[in-house]
Amino acid sequence: MSLLDYLMIAIRVAFSAFIPLCFVAVCVWMERRGAGFFQDRSGPNRANICGFRAAGIVQNLSDGLKLAFKEDMISDHIKHKFFFVLAPIIVFFTAVVSFAVVPYADTLVLGGKSYLMQGIPVDLGILWFLALAGFGVYGIILAGWSSSNKYGILGGLRSAAQVISYEIPMGLAIVSLLVVYGTVNLNEIAQFQGKLLFGFIPLWGAILQPLGMIIFIVAAFAECNRTPFDLAEGESEIVAGFHVEYSAMKFAVFFMGEYVAMFASSAIIITLFFGGYQVPFLSTDALISYAKPVAFLLMLSLPVIMYFFAGWIRRSNISHYPRENDPRVVEANVYIKCFWGLILLLELILLIILFCKSGGSATTIFVALLQVCTFLLKVTMMIFVYIWVRWTIPRFRYDQLQKLGWQVLLPLALLNIFITSAVVVALS
Amino acid sequence: MGAKVKIIERKGSSLIERLYLIEIAKGMATTFGHLFRNLKDNRNLYVRHYPEVQPEIPARWRGRHRLTTHEDGTAKCVACFMCQTNCPAKCIMIEAGERVDGKAEKMPVKFHIDLLECIYCGYCVEACPLDAIRMDTGIFSVTDNNRESFLLGLEELLATPGACSEEEYKKGGA
Amino acid sequence: MADKIKLFVNEVEVEVEAGKNLIDAIGAVGIEIPHLCYHPALGADGNCRMCLVGIKDGRPPLVPACKTRAMEGMKVLLDAEHIKKIQHDVMEFELINHPIDCPVCDQAGECKLQDYYMSYDQQGSRMTVPQVTKGKKLDFGSGVIHDQERCVVCGRCVRFCRQITKTGELGAINRSDDTRINIFPGRPLNNRYALNVVDLCPVGAMTSSDFRFKQRVWFLKKAPDICHGCAKGCNITIDHNRQKYEDDIIYRFRPLFNEQVNGYFMCDEGRLSYKQENNGRLTEARTSNNPRSINEILAASTKEIERAEKIVIALSPNCSLEQMVTVKALSDKLGATLTGYSEGYIKQGDGDDYLIQDDKSANRAGLHLLKIDNSLNTFENAMQEADLLLNFNNELTLSFEKRELSRLLNDTKVIAVTSHDTPLTAMADMAIPVASYSEYAGSVVNSDNILQSFGKAITKNIDLDDISIIAAKLGSPLQTPAERFAALQQIISALNEFEPDKIPAEGLNLNNSEAANVTA
Repeated sequence: MSLLDYLMIAIRVAFSAFIPLCFVAVCVWMERRGAGFFQDRSGPNRANICGFRAAGIVQNLSDGLKLAFKEDMISDHIKHKFFFVLAPIIVFFTAVVSFAVVPYADTLVLGGKSYLMQGIPVDLGILWFLALAGFGVYGIILAGWSSSNKYGILGGLRSAAQVISYEIPMGLAIVSLLVVYGTVNLNEIAQFQGKLLFGFIPLWGAILQPLGMIIFIVAAFAECNRTPFDLAEGESEIVAGFHVEYSAMKFAVFFMGEYVAMFASSAIIITLFFGGYQVPFLSTDALISYAKPVAFLLMLSLPVIMYFFAGWIRRSNISHYPRENDPRVVEANVYIKCFWGLILLLELILLIILFCKSGGSATTIFVALLQVCTFLLKVTMMIFVYIWVRWTIPRFRYDQLQKLGWQVLLPLALLNIFITSAVVVALS
Repeated sequence: MGAKVKIIERKGSSLIERLYLIEIAKGMATTFGHLFRNLKDNRNLYVRHYPEVQPEIPARWRGRHRLTTHEDGTAKCVACFMCQTNCPAKCIMIEAGERVDGKAEKMPVKFHIDLLECIYCGYCVEACPLDAIRMDTGIFSVTDNNRESFLLGLEELLATPGACSEEEYKKGGA
Repeated sequence: MADKIKLFVNEVEVEVEAGKNLIDAIGAVGIEIPHLCYHPALGADGNCRMCLVGIKDGRPPLVPACKTRAMEGMKVLLDAEHIKKIQHDVMEFELINHPIDCPVCDQAGECKLQDYYMSYDQQGSRMTVPQVTKGKKLDFGSGVIHDQERCVVCGRCVRFCRQITKTGELGAINRSDDTRINIFPGRPLNNRYALNVVDLCPVGAMTSSDFRFKQRVWFLKKAPDICHGCAKGCNITIDHNRQKYEDDIIYRFRPLFNEQVNGYFMCDEGRLSYKQENNGRLTEARTSNNPRSINEILAASTKEIERAEKIVIALSPNCSLEQMVTVKALSDKLGATLTGYSEGYIKQGDGDDYLIQDDKSANRAGLHLLKIDNSLNTFENAMQEADLLLNFNNELTLSFEKRELSRLLNDTKVIAVTSHDTPLTAMADMAIPVASYSEYAGSVVNSDNILQSFGKAITKNIDLDDISIIAAKLGSPLQTPAERFAALQQIISALNEFEPDKIPAEGLNLNNSEAANVTA
């Protein structure tokens, strides 16, 4: 293996491991500020470093510091301390690892060798995800049981029942997808979606499988224990459910695990139904051949976008009460300058692309980066949908949850398989 | 009998409503509307920028307590224990003693209000026969980093001035 | 049992005792006739006019109930219009010059004027002329403070000093609305029962300087008990209160009516003896004046008792019968010499012929009843050869000079089981704190051989065991209250008729029933 091989392995593993973790901060920030704005309040925006609030991201840092330095206590009544500590680790680990098979760019061809752009280059694909996402619930059940707490055990039981109910429709929804795509390999699925239908509609899973998409998204919400299916926490009736007894970093690990799981399932939803890393209307081959026009177009559009973005920052980042020499205006100016600097850097990179040989390694790397950005943008949007749903729909009652799972989603998923199979057979 | 019975039609029973998805989409459109409005211009947020922008305290507001004084600065309180008797939270602790300033026979030697236990119901003000205790200081936020400083003493209670004029206080219906 | 007669109150037939006046007779069946100047111990005076009632037998329309004897078939009117009007008018009259300073008045809450205003008056003053001003906060001596403005001139205090103490320090001077109660110049209240006028006063005119401003009376919780100040065993009400975050504290003693013991009154000394229940208490176990936990000391004491060859057990004459019988059982088991020697508790010549006794201990009769030796000879002889003195609250420093006591206690280990931190406690090798009489239930026999039982009145934050429990822990065979009572029943046959805790409140006179039993 050459040096490049090792480098690529390191980059890909690092990407798969660290991007979800970085997105935890982004998710929490989006969740809290988003919750505020959905509810006509401002959300946490006071924490700052030298007056710089970074729109509230500094709050995450302070919360993280707080959780890290809090007393990490285990109550005396907890007998199975090993399992008690193991539980959050399972939740977090399975969430991180389940992302490892999701491709975030098309196969990269460098120096005649092709590299699969995913953390673990295996063909298991969707099966890997199903297995690990299902395994994550053991962490929750274990947490609830080892807490020796009634609320904890109730939360764990609810979670167990919920996961059993929702894994079935989820799996069946995937079955119908597999019938369409004919493969379990996520990279192939993403490549499949790069095509166009009738020449102008991206051939996304959402268009081929609208019913399957709805079933899968609903089941994915339940799988992540997110509202409206967060009965395992149910703070209004069982306090905090499975993590009642957890504090400090052990709680933080649960918390991070939840957001990583959210990121991972968003990535899976994107990959299965929204074209994965594919830039809409531009397949990988098209991108490679049109790299220079695309770069040129980006060079033109980036300053325009930034201009409006700067205006928005200037309007939003001010004090809403009379204040002499408003420091927030100064703050806003610094942000705008930083962003302009970033834009300048991007412009430079794009300029280099313009002057490079078309079809060479620079172009392929550029296309890969473009796809990574597209992928992350799509995932962020999906995460936004998660947050949006959380602040719109109230929590289901337990019997409603089970009824929805068994009486609605399961028959619908079976029906979907039947119709899909019939259509596929008829077309072939 | 004879009560008027009004039958309210139960919502959510039509087919479209029972499909959930359309109703959920409607709800999500509503919340997104709020998000979009607030993102566009965050002056739309229904938020008071609290520590910098203080709320207006009306004269009838039941804030932290104070003990009123005569013109010469002596306490009006005669330690009759009416406030302590009426206090539902049992947060007032008085110790009475012989009066030394000649205004009456009795005066409080110690007058403690435990603000951590006080529920700000205002019964002490209503019970006071001499208008000696009032809650018109306008202090609504009592914070500190130790429990001891929440136990108000006689001097502190006497030293705090009222936040509004006598006319405003009387008009406030107290 | 007195004869019963039947009469009609508001045309309802009631059965009352014969030979009493209307206030007492009807009051005994729960119908109140308002009165200020009448007091059963002081007799009817008839000056307040509050008790005016109507009687339908051709008499004048208004007769004072305090001066009218209840008769068979009498038709008493209490709710007629003219009766209500006279009550209302009398109240208005009483309040003309009353300062209405209830917020600063200690009587508020137990004031007859307040009660009757609420029941019979409830209207504002119609007076436009200035009120008559009189003397306030006059020191009458003996801890009595008088406020002439609050006074309703009922004369109860004057009559008390004339009839009961026969000292006559108080008198009513001047006339009409200038009448006031006063002492003779330079001759303050000077008798040992003076504070009873504070209880007698129906309003706040007489207040106690000791209780003044200490506590509002509605906060006080009341519990009946027996005063342990002397051998009389006066019945008392303990007024105590636990203020927030603080200990249960006794604020005052008041006499409780018991016809065959103390009547309505008690002496000042006993009244102020509540302070000894609050102060100077031993609350921690000690060994050689170092604090230890009670259990530790108990274990050490048990070892000492096992080790000792000759034990002397001294018992206080203040202990209850239950405690005495438990300690006696312990003494018999250990083969120890039990002594109740306590000459120091007797103050010769201090007593009078009314309530105060020479003997300042509550249960010396109990010592005799249980045949516990209390001669000096026995005690001294036993102490010569003893190597352990187990002292149950007997304050020997009262009976002996300090040097003499040191000589007696030489070469002797002393375990003091004591309620108070006394000089003897300091001399003891080990000290175990126990409850004092307001904190335990028991029974005592007074100087007139009347057995009275009392309940546990107050519960301190540190709820100490009483002597009988400590004695049981040290190995006495009588472990439970039931066993103790059974042991007492064997000695005092009058108790056989009663269940424990069911001994009558007025006491059990052992002279009548027990004479045959107390044979030597």
